[in-house]
Amino acid sequence: MKTIKRRTFLKATVAAAVVGSVPLSIGFNEFKKKAEEAPVKKVPTICKGCTSYCGLFASVKNDRVWKVEGNPIHLKSRGHLCARGHGMAADLYNPNRVVGPMKRVGDNEFEPISWEQAFQEIGEKSKKIISKYGGNSLMWMEHGSHRKFYVDQWFDVIGSSNFTTQYSTCFNAKTNAWLQMTGTSLNGDHMNAKYIIFEGRNFAGGIIPNGMNHITKAKANGTKIVVIDPRYSEIAKIADEWIPIKPGTDLAFRLAMANVLITEGLYDKEFVRRYVDGFEEFWKVNKGYTPEWAEKITDISANKIREIAREFAKNAPKAFIEPGWHGLHAHYINSTQTAQMGIILNALVGNFFQRGGLMPSASISLGHIEVPERFHPEKGERADGAGIDGQYRTVEPARGIAQITPDLIDNGKIKGVFIYNYNPVRSAPDFEYQKRIKDAELVVTIPTIWDDTSYYAAHYILPEHYYLERSDEPETVSGHVAHDHPQVAIRLEAVKPMHNTKHCLDILKGITKAAGYDDLYPFTVEDHIAAAVKPLGVSLEQLKKAGTLEFPANVKPGFPMKNGKPALKTKTGKVLFSADLFRVDGKMGIPTWVAPLVMPDTSKEDEFRLIHGKQPWHSHIQTANNPYLLAMSERYNGTYMWINKSRADKLGIKTGDTVTVESSIAKKNVKVKVTELLHPDCVWLPSTYGVQSKKLEYGYNVGVNFNDFAPVMVEPLSGTTMAQEVIVKVRKEGK
Amino acid sequence: MAKYGLLIDASKCTGCTACTIACQMHNQLPPENNYNRLEMMERGTYPNVKMEILPMQCMHCDNAPCAMVCPTQATYKREDGIVLIDHDKCIGCKYCMTACPYDARQLNEDRVPEKCRWCPEMLSKGEQPACASTCMNEVRLFGDLEDPNSELNKKLAQVDVYQITPEKGTKPRIFYVKK
Repeated sequence: MKTIKRRTFLKATVAAAVVGSVPLSIGFNEFKKKAEEAPVKKVPTICKGCTSYCGLFASVKNDRVWKVEGNPIHLKSRGHLCARGHGMAADLYNPNRVVGPMKRVGDNEFEPISWEQAFQEIGEKSKKIISKYGGNSLMWMEHGSHRKFYVDQWFDVIGSSNFTTQYSTCFNAKTNAWLQMTGTSLNGDHMNAKYIIFEGRNFAGGIIPNGMNHITKAKANGTKIVVIDPRYSEIAKIADEWIPIKPGTDLAFRLAMANVLITEGLYDKEFVRRYVDGFEEFWKVNKGYTPEWAEKITDISANKIREIAREFAKNAPKAFIEPGWHGLHAHYINSTQTAQMGIILNALVGNFFQRGGLMPSASISLGHIEVPERFHPEKGERADGAGIDGQYRTVEPARGIAQITPDLIDNGKIKGVFIYNYNPVRSAPDFEYQKRIKDAELVVTIPTIWDDTSYYAAHYILPEHYYLERSDEPETVSGHVAHDHPQVAIRLEAVKPMHNTKHCLDILKGITKAAGYDDLYPFTVEDHIAAAVKPLGVSLEQLKKAGTLEFPANVKPGFPMKNGKPALKTKTGKVLFSADLFRVDGKMGIPTWVAPLVMPDTSKEDEFRLIHGKQPWHSHIQTANNPYLLAMSERYNGTYMWINKSRADKLGIKTGDTVTVESSIAKKNVKVKVTELLHPDCVWLPSTYGVQSKKLEYGYNVGVNFNDFAPVMVEPLSGTTMAQEVIVKVRKEGK
Repeated sequence: MAKYGLLIDASKCTGCTACTIACQMHNQLPPENNYNRLEMMERGTYPNVKMEILPMQCMHCDNAPCAMVCPTQATYKREDGIVLIDHDKCIGCKYCMTACPYDARQLNEDRVPEKCRWCPEMLSKGEQPACASTCMNEVRLFGDLEDPNSELNKKLAQVDVYQITPEKGTKPRIFYVKK
């Protein structure tokens, strides 16, 4: 790791500003002094430190972003902001940004090229691929789906169905189960709850600042907080109880909770009678899952399981199991069943559409930009098989299966890949395998920094403006936190672009035009913004001033009804305990016990399950080259792998020792933290580190990543990576 | 004249470190300089274990040892209770760093032992400094101890507090909520 020397970062930012043609021909101290005296302009924007997308105000002095603060209206931030939000604002001045279009000329060598040349060459190669193999051999990958509207304009015309998100590495089991069983997605109403279970959900690590504000306020008002997690996570710190569970066995715990609720008659019979389908079927298969049965699997005593189930029911409907995200919904072969049980437990206590339970997001419709009618051929099949009979029929095609892309290139289905704001080489399992994305005929990345995917796989790198350098179309704000009022937020350009970068829309305009698709985007970002705001009944100026606008409430408690009948978007309008789509291979679509694929043999002193999670000052891999956030890691030994003290003692390992970690695919060294805060069966890695791009000089080779050790796998129902189905051997370095 | 104080409810802190970096940004500090920090401690043995976190920064002591040992009066106490350092008077002897029982000072890029300033430019406007305003769990509350109607005094009336190493006689101006 490059040591972060005094002043180097701020100096570099000044240098970068000079390069970026900002008239700053003054020394560092003088620059700082001038900056102190300058007037401050506050520009509203939307954070990009993680996918919570908090509303922010950027304070700008002398055309330089000085600091950011949470927007006081925005549902996610409400005036507060986490560390990564501050750190990633400073990343605007990170010297490791891609400063202009690049073309690969050697193994790890690139040469700067003009935008014209980049568009011409990429356009021609795309055209060739489309005419030779068909449009469906082009693929677009991105972190989420923010650019889907732009991509659709092209992919609809060429007939490609291959828009793939990172969600299979993140939480597909959850969204899949909710879609199949409820047709909706609900948020915990933390503020009004009396009892909250955070199972595999570290709300204080994967942070929504206003959500945490609600949780700590609820706690001050007497709400009981129970954390069930192999690791004493940050949310456990404010919990009334931390219950360490054997990793991979949450499904057994949940099956037994339901068993207690039903056996003891504690469930909400009225709710079940009116709004649930498949209760009898469920109970038939659930009968055997007693707390005594679960105790042997989970390491949680039968009495404790009964106690939690009783307290949960007693406090209902102002009680819920936090729906969660990554924690329980991508790690194991039983992740989808675990997600199903989360829905079933919440439904059993009747907390759906209840204050203090689970509430829907408020909604509002933005306007659409008009695009000319064009011929849309029938699309090809998804190359990854998501949603296709005989392949991955039960996987959501809208999200796809990101981790198998090199296979799709190997088998010739995919010839060209565009990767936007996403780093699959580092954030999907098996680093060496993911590097083979490079083998496609055309690989284009659209990043802001020299991420691993650009460095190892891209043929062309087309840098996008940093988020503080661009305006984007407004977005609706929802999810994570219960709130009755719909909100609309906007990202506005806080400072002029420093480098030779472009907006994603202009990058797509350039590529498609050169590929022979004239005028696919007859509009600008400003036109898009104006069209989106049009039906809202507010002026663009109002939105641009406030950054976030709140509209009249349109959410109230109560199960959705139509003509006196339950009206969820499911087959019967009710919550389905048996998901139709999951009735595959003779299964009933009802969650039953599925043991994890692998279990560590803990009679062997050196064998552990490798688990991972978020640190509160880092998110994903995108913060892993940030000097401020890395300084925080250094301050708190944040790159260390956690190991339980009793296990470490047997291996003669102490905090600060370097250990060798070996899985079936990799062997790496890492420093360890010996702790009482972890289940003895596992070791825990923070999910951020292990950058391998040599052009990311702060993060390069700092720590290791769980994806180094996880082989590529596909969970059958939801397509997730199952990245905790990994056994590792841990020993002191050199032994 | 206001007399500033700070109340910290450490039990609400979940260790996100936003306070540290919000301060760094507000004060334009380089990554390795931080005016506040978290002390983290494990207590107990698995599975009966707890994590405790103590946010630390300059206590702006009424009997400030750093000011007493300063040979050039570079470190001084203002009437409003805030302890500051005059860079022009500082000779870089670092006596203040040694004298501080709270390890609150760090050498800045000009070799001046800098520290948390309690951001008087914010407090004087009735605003919370960046470390407090960014905090999602509302761990910190700054305010005027002389003003009986200040939010700080209202809160102080409701809770029991303790201070760090009162036996050293430093009379710190940070109060911690007793659990």
